[in-house]
Order: sequence, then structure tokens, then C-alpha cells
Amino acid sequence: MPIPFIMPKMDMDQEEVFIDQWLKKEGDFIEKGEPVIIVETDKITSEVEAPASGTLARLLYQENETAPVTKVVAYILVEGETEADLPVLEISQDEKPVETAQSEISISEKPIAATALAMRIAKAENIDLNDVPSKGEKITKEDIDAYLAAKPNKHRVETPATPAARRIASENRINLKTIEGTGPRSRVQAVDIQGALDQKTRQAQTISSLEPIELTSMRRRISDRLTTSYQTIPHIFLTVEVDMVRAESFRKQLNETATDQGMQKISLTTILVKVISGCLTKHHFLNAFLEDKKIHFWDDVNIGIATALDSGLIVPVIHHADKLSFQEINQKVKTLSEKAREDLLTREEILGGTFTISNLGMYGITSFTSIINPPQSAILSVGAIKRRPVVVDEEDSINVRPMMNLTLAADHRIVDGAVAANFLVDLVDTLENPASLKELK
Amino acid sequence: MPEITLRQAIHDAIIEEMRRDSTVFIMGEDIGAYGGAFGVTAGILEEFGTERVWETPISEETIVDSAVGAAMVGMRPVAELMFMDFMGVAMDPLINQAAKARYMFGGKATIPMVLRMPNGSGTGAAAQHSQSLETILMHIPGLKVVAPSTPYDAKGLLLSAIRDPNPVCFLEHKLLYKSKGEVPDGEYTIPLGVADVKREGTDLTIVTSEIMVHKSLSAAEEVIKEGISVEIIDPRTLQPLDVDTITQSVMKTGRLLVVHEAVKTAGWAGEIMASVSESPAWDYLDAPMRRLAGLDVPIPYNRLLERASVPQEEDIIREIRAIVNNQY
Repeated sequence: MPIPFIMPKMDMDQEEVFIDQWLKKEGDFIEKGEPVIIVETDKITSEVEAPASGTLARLLYQENETAPVTKVVAYILVEGETEADLPVLEISQDEKPVETAQSEISISEKPIAATALAMRIAKAENIDLNDVPSKGEKITKEDIDAYLAAKPNKHRVETPATPAARRIASENRINLKTIEGTGPRSRVQAVDIQGALDQKTRQAQTISSLEPIELTSMRRRISDRLTTSYQTIPHIFLTVEVDMVRAESFRKQLNETATDQGMQKISLTTILVKVISGCLTKHHFLNAFLEDKKIHFWDDVNIGIATALDSGLIVPVIHHADKLSFQEINQKVKTLSEKAREDLLTREEILGGTFTISNLGMYGITSFTSIINPPQSAILSVGAIKRRPVVVDEEDSINVRPMMNLTLAADHRIVDGAVAANFLVDLVDTLENPASLKELK
Repeated sequence: MPEITLRQAIHDAIIEEMRRDSTVFIMGEDIGAYGGAFGVTAGILEEFGTERVWETPISEETIVDSAVGAAMVGMRPVAELMFMDFMGVAMDPLINQAAKARYMFGGKATIPMVLRMPNGSGTGAAAQHSQSLETILMHIPGLKVVAPSTPYDAKGLLLSAIRDPNPVCFLEHKLLYKSKGEVPDGEYTIPLGVADVKREGTDLTIVTSEIMVHKSLSAAEEVIKEGISVEIIDPRTLQPLDVDTITQSVMKTGRLLVVHEAVKTAGWAGEIMASVSESPAWDYLDAPMRRLAGLDVPIPYNRLLERASVPQEEDIIREIRAIVNNQY
């Protein structure tokens, strides 16, 4: 029997994957363990390895299609087997191809033998495979093409629509095919066109000649998560200014030591991760989540660092940041950001965050707000360090200092303004007080 | 304005025309001393005598044939068939003489006659005394078909029908005889071929006539509570048909329901829908046009079955909801 190539389930609540690329095609020999498919899940892009060695056969899902997990996506023929050994395809009620072992075929209902491609075309063109005469044992694409060519009376109406919908669409030069009908049997009605028109009017000023971009799995994920977060979590925002003069000189010292020992220079992010994780161990509400009307607290302090990619955004996590040294954190920050850019992050490296930092300082942004990354209760937006004149003492003396804005967004269901403020006060104190920084060492 | 019954309105129209025009006379079975099967002509014999109130034998063919002949030589007969069902007996004079003479004599002869016919079910009179056969008449070029729903319309239309130089079939729904409505004193006419908007609305057009106008009005009162606004068009004259008023309404509402008591198959609902689909209103339709009509059965004698065989208010409500809520 050919070996079924089953799409693995990579996450507890995962139901499907997006097939980015087939690295092998039908007829290719594949070695057990070698990557065969590149898939995108909600969270990450990964490679699916061959479960066995043999000849790859019958790809049931093509590139840019979504496939269900734990289901057969292809077959592997072992030596001596041919396509004829593959199980017969049957069309189930929901018209998805379903595999049936030959022994299970009922005698009363003879299933229709067809290639996967033929089945897909038949589905798209709404053709009943029973009507298609086959030259060989199975219905092929050629058979369907011949059938379509010979068919005298193809349905002229491709998109069901009411006359009113057609008129309004034509008056406004809207392609009916692009409209999703909400009427009976998906019929496009006037109200559907009106909706599209409203949208068109809204977009009128910004529509460009650029082709619209299909949301990737990652963008969909970002879109869903952030929308849910922003709509369901009552955000509060608090901004503080930090005088970074001492933190900078502290970093300088650290770097001198590091250089002496032949180690990496400590980044600002590292300092922030270290200081923030220290503060979080004292401010539990900022390291908490809401579930079943209860506030739960995390033991671990795992700091996510929002990282921009060409294709979107990913948040690698520094686990147990409160227990790591500056050097350890620094090393992790560097490795994770490199892996993020090369799309090599593992699932473990992006899961389990309890607090997130987003830094746009390198773009010169002085102050901004972020949306909480659920189920976390807070996110800190880090602005650029700018040298500017500030009042530094009771005598109103003015001095030029490297100033940085921090804006905390917190879930008001968990964190009250005063709680958030106390956390920020602690954070600012630590950053402005070299003694406490040294203690962190 | 005084309120009178539809029966009274028709009675008044006849008697006023007889007073105004000495060529107008009435004929039919038991229309004199008995006053007609539904009492419409009661008292006319007393005023005008047997010369202008002709009691005829039980022969519908004779009634219609005589009326055609009298009309041809300058009289204006208003003939009555006791029940519309009996027009079957008079089909030859109706479709081959009355409808054709003016054309075949090159306009030298006209047939200014009115044929009054009570129609409709609801009286327990069974299959041969309950039909609504207006579609058959609409199919004959040369015949006009009038079907009023209110006393006001009945009187104004009957005056126009009597004065019209062509044969006019005038339908009177039996259940409407006792219905009341405001009718002004004195003479007024309603032109044939002009529909009336019985209720204005925005979501759905109902085209209907006679008693179904009233059932539709009640249904409209019910669904307005759900926010469904129904417009009701009463053509009043089925032939000639005021297609313009209907299409204007459909262009406004985008949805059409035709309701009639006549059976569905080859009923005039199909004619209305075809006219709409041939008109500019087609491009305004946002749902399939629907019809609610009598079942394709002879009207049963059993009262429950009789009721079930023609559209009722609850049927109209159900149909309105289905169309407006996309559940057809």
C-alpha cells in the first residue's frame, strides 16, 4: 500500500496550514526526513519532512492552498508500486476529495475515479463527474476539457445576481465577480453592490495602480490578534521621560569590560530587558493574564521583543529574562533577531511571552503607543534617545541630557493607572540610578 | 362623504345612467321584481318598467347575444350573468360577436355593452358558482375587463364602462357586495385603464385586485410592524392594463408580488410579471417576482377547503416576509 503523507499538526488548536511551496513534485523520489513542503501556520513558516522514502504521488493540495492538518496531502509510492495502487478518490458531500481504501468501497455506489487535478477543475467549474466520459480508467483533465468543449449549453450566467444588482454594478463599473452575494444561493443583490460602492468611495482617494496584496498567513494573524486585542482590551497609556545619562555611562562601563573579555557589546535593548524583567518580578500585575474572570500571575518573566520583518512582525521571546545576566540576555537578543530576519525562529522561540517591548527608537520616533499582545497585560513602547535641554535640579539649572520616552500600554481590566504608574516609577528609578543598575549585575 | 356598500354603488351607477341616457337598459335573470341574485338591481323595475328592465330566460347565450344585437343598433345594454361561471354558456357571442364586430365592420358598428358578472369564492357555492375567470376574458382582444375593489371605484368605473363604445366585462366579487366605502354624491367617472395606488410603500409592490386588495391591505398593516413597507397597486381595469403605474412602483420597491384569486396556472399574475420583465423595471428587480394565486383546483364545497384554495391574509404575510427576507 502507498504510504499516506499526512500533514502534521504543529499546534494544539491548529486546523489547517497554508502550503507555501512544494519542494518536490509528483514523481520525484524523496528521502525520509528531507523537507518536502514549506508551510505557513498562523505563527510561523516551517518545513514538513518526508515521513518515508519513496516516489511522491498525487499531491492533493497545491501551492497557495490551505490544507487541513492530520489529513492526507499526498502519497508516497514504495518500490514496485505505481499510481494504480493509490486508493480510489471519492467525492464526499462537501465535495472535498476523500480517500477511501479500496476494501471499503460500497458496491451500490460506485465512486468516480478521477485524478486530483480533474477533481479540482470539476469542482471549480461545477461539473458533475458522473457526466464526464473518460478515455482511460480515471477521468483526467483532458477528459474534462473535451467534455467542456463539447458541451453546447454552458451556463452563461457566471455570477448569480438580481437585475437590480447588475444594473447598479454596470452603472458603477463594478465587476460582479468581485462581489460576494448575500442573497439566496449566493445571489448578488443590490445591497451587496451598495456595500462595495461604499467601500470604493471610502477608498477613492487612496486607491493606486498597485495590485492589492493578499494577506499572508502572518498578516492575517497579526490582523486578527491586534484587532481582537484593541477591540476587547481596554487599553490605558502612560508615558514617562527617562534621563538616560547614567544608564548610558553604565552601558559604556559594561562594554569596556566586555571588550576586555572579548565579548559582544551590550545593546540598549539588553539593558532594557534586564531592567524591565527585574521590575516585573516586583510588579506582578504587569506580568499577568485574565482568564475566567480571574487574574492569573506568571512565575516566569519572558520578555518578547517586537521585531520588524519585511513581511510583517514577529515577537521572539527571551525566556526567564529575570534570571539571565546582561551577557546572556545580550547573546539571546542578538541570536533571536538574526534568526527572525532569516525566518529561522522555532516555535519555542516565539511562544510563552509574558511582557512585550517594542522599540522604534532607531527610527528616531520619540514617543508612540503599542497594542497589547494578548494574553499579556502590558506592552512597553520605547522611543529614541534624544539629547535635549532639561531642568536637572531644584535650582532650575538646565543641562543637555540624553532623554528617552517610555510609553506603557496596560490592560485596564488587570492594571489600574496607579499600579502602572508605580511600575514605571520603579523602572525610571532603576534606569536613572546607577547603584540599582549595578545591583542587577 | 357618505359610506355606502359596493352593491349600492353599482345600483346607483346603473340607475343614474338610466336616468341620464334613455338608451341604457338592463337585462338578466331575475333582475326585475326579485332584484337580481345579489339584490343589485332591486327597485329599478319600479322606476323604469319592463321596457328598460328585461327579465330573460335562463339562457346566458341569449342574454349576451341579445345585448350584442341591441348594442349594435344603438342601445347601451347592461346585462347581468347571475354567476361569472355561466359565461361558459355565452362564450360564442362574447368572444366571436361582442369582441369582434367593431373590427370586422371596419368600425362602422360599435358594441357599447356592459356584461356584469359576480365572481369569486367564499360563499360556499362550490365549483360552478365560485370561479374567477377574468384571465380568459383578458385574452380576448376587443373585450375590456374591469374588476373594482371598492364602492368608489365600482361606481366610477361602471359609469365609464356604460359610456364606453366597446364591450366591457364588469366583475363584481360576491364577498365585496356588503363592503362599505365612501362614495361622493353625484356623477363622477374613473377612466378605464388607470390603476390606483391603494397604499404607498417602499419595500415591495403587491399588484392585486378585488377582494385580494383588502386582504393585502390587512397583510401590509401587519408587516409594517416588522418594518416592511408594502405598496399596493390595484389595476382596477385588467384590460387595458396600466403597466406604467405597476412598473413605476416596481422601480421604486425592487420587489413584486402579484396576488389573485384566479388559479395560478396561466393566471394574470404571469401577465403582470411578463410586462414588468419587458419594461425598464426589470433592471430594478432585486428579488425574483412572485405570485400568490388560487390553487389549480375547482373551488371545493367544504368551507375549510374552500378557504384553503384561495390566498388568505396569512398567506400574503408569509409571502411578503419570504421575499423581503430573502427566504424564497
